[in-house]
Amino acid sequence: MACWNVIEHQELSSGASSVSFTGISASYDHLVLLSSARSDEATITGYMNFQVNGDTGTNYSRRSLNATTSTVGTSSGVNQSVFIYQYVPALNSLADTFGVMETWFIDYSNTSNYTQILSQSVGPNNSSTDSQWGLRLSSGIWTSTAAINRVDVLCDSGSDDFVQYSTFTLYGINGAA
Amino acid sequence: MEAIETTYLEADAASVTFSSIPATYEHLQLRCSIRVAGVGARNSTNLTFNGDTGSNYTLHRMHGYGTNISGAGWANQPAVYAPDATGFDSTSADYSGVVVDILDYANTNKNTSCLFSGYIAGIPDLMAVESALWDATAAVSSITLTGTLPITRGSQYTLYGIKSS
Repeated sequence: MACWNVIEHQELSSGASSVSFTGISASYDHLVLLSSARSDEATITGYMNFQVNGDTGTNYSRRSLNATTSTVGTSSGVNQSVFIYQYVPALNSLADTFGVMETWFIDYSNTSNYTQILSQSVGPNNSSTDSQWGLRLSSGIWTSTAAINRVDVLCDSGSDDFVQYSTFTLYGINGAA
Repeated sequence: MEAIETTYLEADAASVTFSSIPATYEHLQLRCSIRVAGVGARNSTNLTFNGDTGSNYTLHRMHGYGTNISGAGWANQPAVYAPDATGFDSTSADYSGVVVDILDYANTNKNTSCLFSGYIAGIPDLMAVESALWDATAAVSSITLTGTLPITRGSQYTLYGIKSS
């Protein structure tokens, strides 16, 4: 039995403010979302957010560790309407440069627990100047015991677009049979 | 996820190269267990793609070591100064463990971006998350890891391919 299973891969042929994975089977142990994306926001580093099961309520909380300068900081968001402000390169970063984001949804179909989410993202750029690059680790929870059957990936709050060639691949991870 | 190649060093080596990487996967993942010979608790190894040693690489780092935590960046360099490796001054059984995610490595519409996550055993030990950028849209067909000091016997690298269909 394969451990990593492709559920769905999407590569944007034109800009889009969000990407959705729907009808996610409950048959895996965990979900992993790998993304190589870029935003059209007129800044150097933009943001990528998540919602699950179409839940727009204030049911997402997270803690982040991030660096955009020599000083590493921590931040949190409690009872937010989206999960995780992950970094993504934007319009004013080096052309053709896309970020790397890896997010795990642990035990996403276990209806006894809230879903834990772990995410890493980088916003690369060919600059060592403060605030012209970004690294972020985030973890948190979706305070619902429902099984996840849908993941929406939003470019910032949905007001900006992921650009053409951005890719999003959702994998289902199996445990031992 | 499929293993493309594993290199286990039976003797010290100056570098390790994965060549003729097929373009048939969506992403690559490199898993490293490495140690270098030479004075110091740790030393960087240098990563290059496709033999390119031009000033086309940028590295950003967020790391914690001992009681310190900091960020740093190096732009337009001739190599990615990562992953770090455990050095000679550390216990002989200590090796660093680093995972490198290389996304959309064969997509010629994009520069190549990487995410490094690693623990470098040593005194003090170090935990690092790093991003690397190769300013080139060519498909990655080879990866070379060169030690600033010899990479020691017992070090191991495995390159995996991750599919999207």
